[in-house]
Amino acid sequence: MAPPVAPALAPDGPRDRTGHRHGADPGSAPVFGHVHHVMGTVVSFDVRVGDGDPRAAMVALSRACARLDRADAVFSTWKPNSPMSRIRRGELALREAPPALGRVLELCALARELSAGWFDPWQMPGGVDPTGLVKGWAADEALSVLREAGVRAAMVGAGGDLATFGSPEPGAAWRIGVRDPWAGDRVACVLESPGAVATSGCYERGDHVIDPRTGRPGTRFASATVTGPELWLADALATGLLVAGEEGLAFIDALDGYEAFVISGTGATARTARLPVVA
Amino acid sequence: MRRAPIVVAATAAGLAGVLGFHTQQPSLLSGLSGGGTTPTTSGGGTTPTTAPSGSGASTSTTAPGSTSTSTPASTTPTTSTTTTTPTGTRTAVGADVQYRYGELELKVTATGGKITSVQPVIDTAYDARSFQVNSYAEPQLLSQTLQAQSANINGVSGATYTSQAYVQSLQAALDKLGIK
Repeated sequence: MAPPVAPALAPDGPRDRTGHRHGADPGSAPVFGHVHHVMGTVVSFDVRVGDGDPRAAMVALSRACARLDRADAVFSTWKPNSPMSRIRRGELALREAPPALGRVLELCALARELSAGWFDPWQMPGGVDPTGLVKGWAADEALSVLREAGVRAAMVGAGGDLATFGSPEPGAAWRIGVRDPWAGDRVACVLESPGAVATSGCYERGDHVIDPRTGRPGTRFASATVTGPELWLADALATGLLVAGEEGLAFIDALDGYEAFVISGTGATARTARLPVVA
Repeated sequence: MRRAPIVVAATAAGLAGVLGFHTQQPSLLSGLSGGGTTPTTSGGGTTPTTAPSGSGASTSTTAPGSTSTSTPASTTPTTSTTTTTPTGTRTAVGADVQYRYGELELKVTATGGKITSVQPVIDTAYDARSFQVNSYAEPQLLSQTLQAQSANINGVSGATYTSQAYVQSLQAALDKLGIK
């Protein structure tokens, strides 16, 4: 396990003539931005310190990054010696594995049930694979570190899946654009984050999402987005929805607090009734 | 547990949008709109398309899975269903058309020279089935996407990018610009 590296931090906002940075308005609370490379992708942080202690916020940001590194070390199926890889090969018993591993597999079982089996880590080729849930769970964990450190609001964007809390500005919600699958500089709609926004699709890394009912790639939408209070579940549901197709909209619609937005291969869109869409 | 109507968009009006989007390929429908031309398996004058990427040929018949036989479509009035006459109900499947959202093949049904339905026939990487339009439908296509600059957003949700692809991403641009 590599020791956590303190992120290079810079309060966000325009520079004045002396090169110092302020918040968006002179005299307002500092805003920290940071990006962290982990889990084969990039995690972006937007931290609004509010009237909290900026130094405590920096320490918390460093710990949040360490939490992500730790999740990668435990759960990576790309690292042959990670506990997850050893469990998949039958070399490690669950009771001997880090406790987080058991907790995540419990969440996987819950997500499988809530998705009517469309998200099923136990039906993946090569043994149990919680990858479709871990990134969202790790971002939830990183966000809790920041929240517990007393920052006013924060957003953790884990490679296209986002967890948020608080208000970036007084009275405002975090505004999240859902990417146009065919144009990286356009967004299909803008959502107000209720805590988590997750999107699954194949336009970045190819047809990699496995249909648990066939064991083969079986993507039914160009893009499937799920919003809700927690990212671990939104992430898993978005993965399940991508292979479930239209009938997946029904299982999301039945879950309190979770909503969905999908884009078909022809660019047609569909959404559940209470999707927090603002533009 | 709650039951709320699923709001679904697209199909009929949406496809009109698709067709409108490709005005450079008007020949897609020309075989039908003319009334007297080539309903199905013996393309009268136009080439049967085996090449899937042919642009806008009007009467492809050899596409796998196509329903290009001249059966009466269930959604159309079937007062006169004797197949090959110009006044009957006819169905034809166009060649694959490359357009913004991938490859598309359309099945067009006409009765008496008038188009009565246009439906996608799916054979692409993505399942491009049309959504069923219900009474809550607000047909729309994704052609009305927003330029990110004007969307005033804090973050971008999308398929997971790699570390390398992040550099090109909208999220990277937001991160670099600093957040409002």
